Amino acid sequence: MILSSGVPQDIFRAILQGTPPGAVYALIALGFVLTYKTSGVFNLAFGAQAYVSAAMFFKARTEWDWPIVPALILSVFILAPLVGLILERFIFRHLRTASSVSKLVVSIGLTVAMPALFDLIASFTAVAGRTPSGIISGGNSVFYDPFGVYPFSRDELAQLVVAVVAMLGLGALFRFTAMGLKVRAVVESPRMAELNRIDANRVSAFSWALSSFFAGMAGVLIAPRFNTLVAPDFFGLVVVAVAAAAVGKLISLPRALIGGLGLGIFIALFNTFLPTWSKTLTWLAPIQDNITPAVPFLLLFGIFVFWPAIRKAPTASDPMAGVDPPPPADLAFARSRFLAIGTWVFGVVFLTTCFAVVFLRGDQFWVFVVTQAVVMSMIFLSVTVITGFAGQISLCQGAFAAIGGFTVFQLASRYGFSVLGAAFIGAALAAVVGAILALPVRRLGGVWLAIATLAFAFFFDAVVVKFSWVGGGSLLQGTRVPRPSLGPFDFANDKTFLALSLVMFIIVAVIVIQLRQGTFGRTLRAIQGSEVAAQSIGIAPARVRVVAFAVSAFIAGLGGAMLSISQKNVNYANNFSPTAALFWLVLVVSLSARTVGGAAQAGGAFALFDAIILRGAFLGWILGGADRIPGLFPISPKWRFVLFGLTAVQYAKHPEGMLEYGTRKSNAKVDAWLVRRGWATPRSGGPVPPDATASIDDPDPPIGLDPSARADAPIEAQR
Amino acid sequence: MSALLEATQITKSFSGIRALDGVDLEVAEGERVGLIGPNGAGKTTFFNCLLGISPQTTGSIAFDGQDLGGMSVHRRARAGIGRTFQRIELFSDTTVREHLLIAERIRNGRGSFFKDLIGLGRPKPDEIAAADAVLELLGLEALADAPIEMLSLGKGRLVEVGRALMTEPKLLLLDEPSSGLDRSETEALAQTLREVQAHQGFAILLVEHDVELVSSFTERTYVLDFGRTIAFGPTAEVMADSRVRHAYLGDVEVES
Repeated sequence: MILSSGVPQDIFRAILQGTPPGAVYALIALGFVLTYKTSGVFNLAFGAQAYVSAAMFFKARTEWDWPIVPALILSVFILAPLVGLILERFIFRHLRTASSVSKLVVSIGLTVAMPALFDLIASFTAVAGRTPSGIISGGNSVFYDPFGVYPFSRDELAQLVVAVVAMLGLGALFRFTAMGLKVRAVVESPRMAELNRIDANRVSAFSWALSSFFAGMAGVLIAPRFNTLVAPDFFGLVVVAVAAAAVGKLISLPRALIGGLGLGIFIALFNTFLPTWSKTLTWLAPIQDNITPAVPFLLLFGIFVFWPAIRKAPTASDPMAGVDPPPPADLAFARSRFLAIGTWVFGVVFLTTCFAVVFLRGDQFWVFVVTQAVVMSMIFLSVTVITGFAGQISLCQGAFAAIGGFTVFQLASRYGFSVLGAAFIGAALAAVVGAILALPVRRLGGVWLAIATLAFAFFFDAVVVKFSWVGGGSLLQGTRVPRPSLGPFDFANDKTFLALSLVMFIIVAVIVIQLRQGTFGRTLRAIQGSEVAAQSIGIAPARVRVVAFAVSAFIAGLGGAMLSISQKNVNYANNFSPTAALFWLVLVVSLSARTVGGAAQAGGAFALFDAIILRGAFLGWILGGADRIPGLFPISPKWRFVLFGLTAVQYAKHPEGMLEYGTRKSNAKVDAWLVRRGWATPRSGGPVPPDATASIDDPDPPIGLDPSARADAPIEAQR
Repeated sequence: MSALLEATQITKSFSGIRALDGVDLEVAEGERVGLIGPNGAGKTTFFNCLLGISPQTTGSIAFDGQDLGGMSVHRRARAGIGRTFQRIELFSDTTVREHLLIAERIRNGRGSFFKDLIGLGRPKPDEIAAADAVLELLGLEALADAPIEMLSLGKGRLVEVGRALMTEPKLLLLDEPSSGLDRSETEALAQTLREVQAHQGFAILLVEHDVELVSSFTERTYVLDFGRTIAFGPTAEVMADSRVRHAYLGDVEVES
């Protein structure tokens, strides 16, 4: 007994209790900073990497009955570095010069794709309630109590030992080995390192393998803390890493270490003292219940709001960054009038036919999925505004949508408000929250804004939803939402409701188009094109960004309300969780983030891809009967994540989205054919050189603006 | 002539290092003033103080009777300071005319979110006419609908000038406009600028490496070296000053 009792003892116990998880957080933060510094990638896929190793370990242990050591070697020492190497070699090496935002999108795509891909390849499915075991036998049943204050479990001691060994190893590596020295050099100054003939590719590959090893190790160590081994829990780890790493402005390894440890202890201290406070302050109770997952996000937010220096922190970037290709011009630029009208007519006819079939012949299932598609399209328009127009990444669109849904639940089912009125109030509320959220990081934008939104998404998920005035207190009680009626129309009828959704989608879509062509959209395009130039003509980027956020949140809120109404329930966990919203972004970005059509197609893909393609309905229809669908079907819906996740990886190369890219290419071909047949004239108007369409199609710009370059070379737009 | 821009005792320190040390600079209305100096003399630092990108440590800047202290970058722009960039900064994915139209809309302040909502946010005929007038002045009318990705560097710089002109600046800051241009293009640019300036009557502050351009274009010149003004006055006199030749032009003589 070192300390007698009372507060000092509580503090001591909290420190002991917080150190093991803190050590794991430090591991995560170190791995995260390593790749951020060496390749400028804000690697949100870090959590997915941790998941892959943890799941591999779990599978080897429980399904193959492997002993601990071989399972550990396979999952952490072989698989994890391999994943890192593959990511570096095939994806991130080619993105050196991409903007930090495009790299972020790529890592988000990987976050969505990797766990699903692993599950499919390894045919792994999480079993609820089967808690993963640690790397030592009797991990959670054997305890040691060296100080007589806090009994350490074997798992915790193992976490401590591994973390200490890993950190000492990392320290020794940096101090004593040539490779470590090179990594340090690249971390200090990539440009200088290259001038000193250090092969940046090898250093980058090495640090990715090392970082991935850290991810895998941390994943396996932390897994026993989760009830069930599912990817979203691991995704939350990345926020922990960012919070810890933010202490060192994302670039200092020692400070990231301190940040990780500090975070663990901080959480333990909170858990020790909050229960006593919340006895007197009852409103603290829901916060107290969920404080552990929420602390990293609160901390991160605190850092943003109260530490102005962080807002001036330079984002790690390659000196060559900023010379990425300009986004290709709008589709309308690149196609003939004939084709434009043709496409339009075809689109209208096709959609009208589809909806007519659904209205006249669709059964309950098809009416439901089509309604989902329409409502999701509306939500996706919020991504079009914030990502497509404003060029910002928001990862909390799910929370905004949930605000809409919960407002309808609260106002309409609990207080008897008009349902549609409540939907608009919810949207307005979401807009206010969006604006407030964007305020502290409005000057930064880019990656920092994305982190702030991610932190908010998790905070909302962990704490806000649990308040009775938001999520109804207990999610088990359900959050039922009534259907509205308006004059003669009763939207309890699913087909009438589909019509209402369609009308609302069209209205929102028209507004979005108006905004894009108006002052707001043109201002956003100017800021995206060049922030300094926009300022030089009197545009205030910070203000415009806040407005863009509010608009996007409004649309998401309205869409979320409609989604809840359509399902007659908010269904928060299914519809609006942070990981669900991650998939939204991936979908929209991978198809086309800049057009209304892209949002609509993303909505269609979200709701219909599974029903039509993966379950084989389409093939069955072609073959002439549901009974003829080959045994191959239904295909696992997880393929959606793999498919769209990997498509989003293309974002850095084709920021216009793969769908738009494909359309562009085929348009050019069709146009050439039309011109040959004499049905269309080559696009004229303005002295655009004849190869204009070619260069729009294939945005391979001259790299770099060499002052000595010939002046008649095309300028690359600097973003 | 009253001073349009009056920078007094501008000092800028970066963690103990004085990049600017008590610099005074004045630009009168309608005047063409040059600011030259060797690399590291503090030209860019001064520029950033003036624009509010990185405000001075001590000293004050008055513009058009207003104190600029604490004013943000975009508000200084609205107060009448237009600029071009050393590395061209254009809005990707837009045409030449659209560059000017958005600048015009920001200047006249007629845009509002609610007008956008009901479809009234598109360019108005009078705005298009104003933009086309400037395009004609700069000889860019043939390129009005060209996407900026198609332009040459020289034309791109003219678009920057046009965009700045749409804000009706009282002072136009030119940040090394000759960089990336060859001799004949530089001369063409200077010629256009002279004509436009005669037409519009704004003042110009030219920050430049190219001594020839400064000599032929400006009326007065300031010379910076190690953060201090080492000479100022009528351009021809300054260029003849022995200290200036030693600090700045000396290299040129050695090379030639």
